[in-house]
Amino acid sequence: MNASSLVVLAVIGILFALAVWRVAKKGAPCECGGSHKNCSRKSGCSCCDCCGD
Amino acid sequence: MSKSVKIALAGNPNSGKTTLFNALTGSEQYVGNWPGVTVEKKDGILAGHKEVIIQDLPGIYSLSPYSIEEKVSRRFLVEEGPDAILNIVDGTNIERNLYFSTQLAELGLPMVMAVNMMDVVKRNGDKIDFEKIAKALRCEVVGISALKNEGGMEAAEKVVEMAKKSVVEKGPGKLPDVPHVFSGSVEHAIAHIEESIQGKVPLRSIRWYAIKVFERDREIIKKLDIGVGEMKHIEEHIRDCEKELGDDAESIITSQRYEFIKKLMDKSLALNEKRKDKATLSDKIDKFVTHRILALPIFILSLCVMWFLAVAEHGPGTVLTDWANDGFLADGWHLPFTTHECREEGKYKGMEFEDAQGEFAKAEATVAAWEAGEKKASIEDEETGEIAEEWDIDEAAYNAAKEFEEPDPGQFGVWVPGLGALITEALDRAHVNDTVKSLVVDGAWGGVATVLGFVPVIFIVFLFLAFLEDCGYMARVAFIMDRLLRRFGLSGKSFIPMLVGKGCGVPAVMAARAIENERARRMTVILATFVPCGAKTVIIAMFAALFFREQWYVAAMMDVVGIAIIILGGIALKKTRFFAGEASSFVLELPAYHMPTVSGVWHHTWNRLKGYILKAGLVIFPACVFLWFIMHFDWSLNLLADEEIEKSILHDLGSWIAWIFEPLGFGSWQGAAASVSAEIAKEQATATLKLVTVGMEGVSSGAHIQNFFAALGDFPKLAALSFMMFNLFVPPCMVAIAVTFREMGSQKWGWFAIGFQLFVGYVLALSVYRLGVLFAGGGFGIWTALALVLDAFCLWAIVRRGHS
Repeated sequence: MNASSLVVLAVIGILFALAVWRVAKKGAPCECGGSHKNCSRKSGCSCCDCCGD
Repeated sequence: MSKSVKIALAGNPNSGKTTLFNALTGSEQYVGNWPGVTVEKKDGILAGHKEVIIQDLPGIYSLSPYSIEEKVSRRFLVEEGPDAILNIVDGTNIERNLYFSTQLAELGLPMVMAVNMMDVVKRNGDKIDFEKIAKALRCEVVGISALKNEGGMEAAEKVVEMAKKSVVEKGPGKLPDVPHVFSGSVEHAIAHIEESIQGKVPLRSIRWYAIKVFERDREIIKKLDIGVGEMKHIEEHIRDCEKELGDDAESIITSQRYEFIKKLMDKSLALNEKRKDKATLSDKIDKFVTHRILALPIFILSLCVMWFLAVAEHGPGTVLTDWANDGFLADGWHLPFTTHECREEGKYKGMEFEDAQGEFAKAEATVAAWEAGEKKASIEDEETGEIAEEWDIDEAAYNAAKEFEEPDPGQFGVWVPGLGALITEALDRAHVNDTVKSLVVDGAWGGVATVLGFVPVIFIVFLFLAFLEDCGYMARVAFIMDRLLRRFGLSGKSFIPMLVGKGCGVPAVMAARAIENERARRMTVILATFVPCGAKTVIIAMFAALFFREQWYVAAMMDVVGIAIIILGGIALKKTRFFAGEASSFVLELPAYHMPTVSGVWHHTWNRLKGYILKAGLVIFPACVFLWFIMHFDWSLNLLADEEIEKSILHDLGSWIAWIFEPLGFGSWQGAAASVSAEIAKEQATATLKLVTVGMEGVSSGAHIQNFFAALGDFPKLAALSFMMFNLFVPPCMVAIAVTFREMGSQKWGWFAIGFQLFVGYVLALSVYRLGVLFAGGGFGIWTALALVLDAFCLWAIVRRGHS
């Protein structure tokens, strides 16, 4: 595998890890524009109560 | 540090509280033009006033503890005690709204009444005398228009000022100046009660407590712990009043409140004489829209219009989706108004781009067929996967075809390369190896692009729904459905979560909290997610585009099927001993129709759309990368070549459960993988289907999914319909399932809900496929018999005599 392939693979890996981390931390994006776990009233998520936060 | 000031935003349902709350706090709480959107109170900081907390309470009609919303609001107003109240009142319906305002005034808290929709009141030519209302209710009154963001901040600043003043002056000191709205004998009894409960309640709210004791409010009497002897004495006073006025205590309070309001309105409300006895435009529209016979067809027609715009061939949704899928996210597109015939010398001179592409495809097919030793060549239709054209070939044709070069789009107009092409080109230039290229192009980008490609359809669906909601039509839909559901012992209250569910199943399940009756609430949670949500719209859009281009009504039918399942499923559940019982009451006020604002509709649409675009990056992307890996590696983690996919982990996992889907017409590892992965997020079904069919042998580009279904049997359209319906009507995504479990209150009920949804989705897909095959002449088999038996069982469950 050449260097450029490794770079692309690393970029995909980082993006993958970031996405998984973001969803694990804040929950899946919600139709209200917030996230299913990001229930701080500040974010304006209307799903706060349904997510139990 | 200064002490925070709490302002309660209270009013009737659908009076504009949440709109005002969003305007005051800069929040983006969901605003719905139907009652019951706010179930629990929400907090926000008043813009420009860090120390002021605005609390948006659920809309209620009174401070009686009957519904969940009333309990939430009452508990907060009476027990927690805000520093002041901002009472929002619908100016177009002020008389009815004041019933609640008189009760709020009795709480003895500083209060500003914000009379909303003043723009409509003025347009109607009506006049409201704020001073007289203010004097009668002992509060400040201001006119606002929450929708147009006029006057709201002034009202808020006024109430903050009053609250701060009250905080300074607050003490056990004096009785508040509250309105006295009742007749002499009632006031006399209330005065006696006030004497009895003095010291047990805050002095400022003593009148409110006394009135509640007069009404024999059990919760309040219990809380005040009034002695037996004292209660006996109070009872005597109450009974004297009842004897004198010939009614029960609670009704006396209600009717005298209305009498007080009526007198106040006679003095302070001047309706436009010309309009007084005339039917309003809303009344005229409602004559048709809520008509006993026409209402339901009009509702179905509105769904059809929405889906026609979204998925009909040559409609705006299809044109934009084709552009997104084939152009923007794939190879590229010609800038509009710049296209022209090829002017360069050569084989394509004078041709349009599409014709040149067709010629090149034919030349490629000729070369491939001749080199394979064939005497005939053919090309497939990219949309249907069927042979579109077949012709004889000879050596001369082969030699001529070899001279064709791929047409350069730049010769036919200004060509803008698509994102897919740019990614591929960048990877080629960087000499990235084929495996990594496949991971990026087929795995990561392929999945994300599949979902993003259908954003135009979702946009049109959400835009249409936002318009219907904001103009007031959706409240009518709840009214129509209440009338329909009530016939079967169900309440229209259950339909509100289902309206919310058109956007997302999670808040829909959550909205069921507003239903007090536990049985009705559980039933609503089970049924709410049968309305295809936004994520399921992607599945509908994809199958409509690939299989039902000329039958756009198939997409609209999915919504109708969802509603039919809710009604029939509700009837069947109601007949079991777990859900039997009377339908709970449903009070619904129909707001006047109004032209939605562009910003309001855009706000609703964009918020929902943003969720899907984000989800494509945050959920679909990692899921596709993961699926690509398990599709390209075996259990020993050896990288597999394209032709070795059948040794992959994904292939094995899919194959183990493919038998479950065999009766439904898509019993292959690909179908199983797509259906199971849809539990991550429903739109993942489309991304997975694209990923797992991309490497199929003998499949031309652009028609992978059609060819996959064609390879499954003689009835690809039926198999596709079955796949779509299975994924639309089985349990929703993981997040919604988790919320369902929580809202059902126990593991047992959670599993019951999931089991019921799974049964409905499976039976529906089985029946559609097996009975479809039977009618299409495909014969009768054991699965057809099973479908008929299950259908008969469902019919029995619906028509049998149930528990009373």
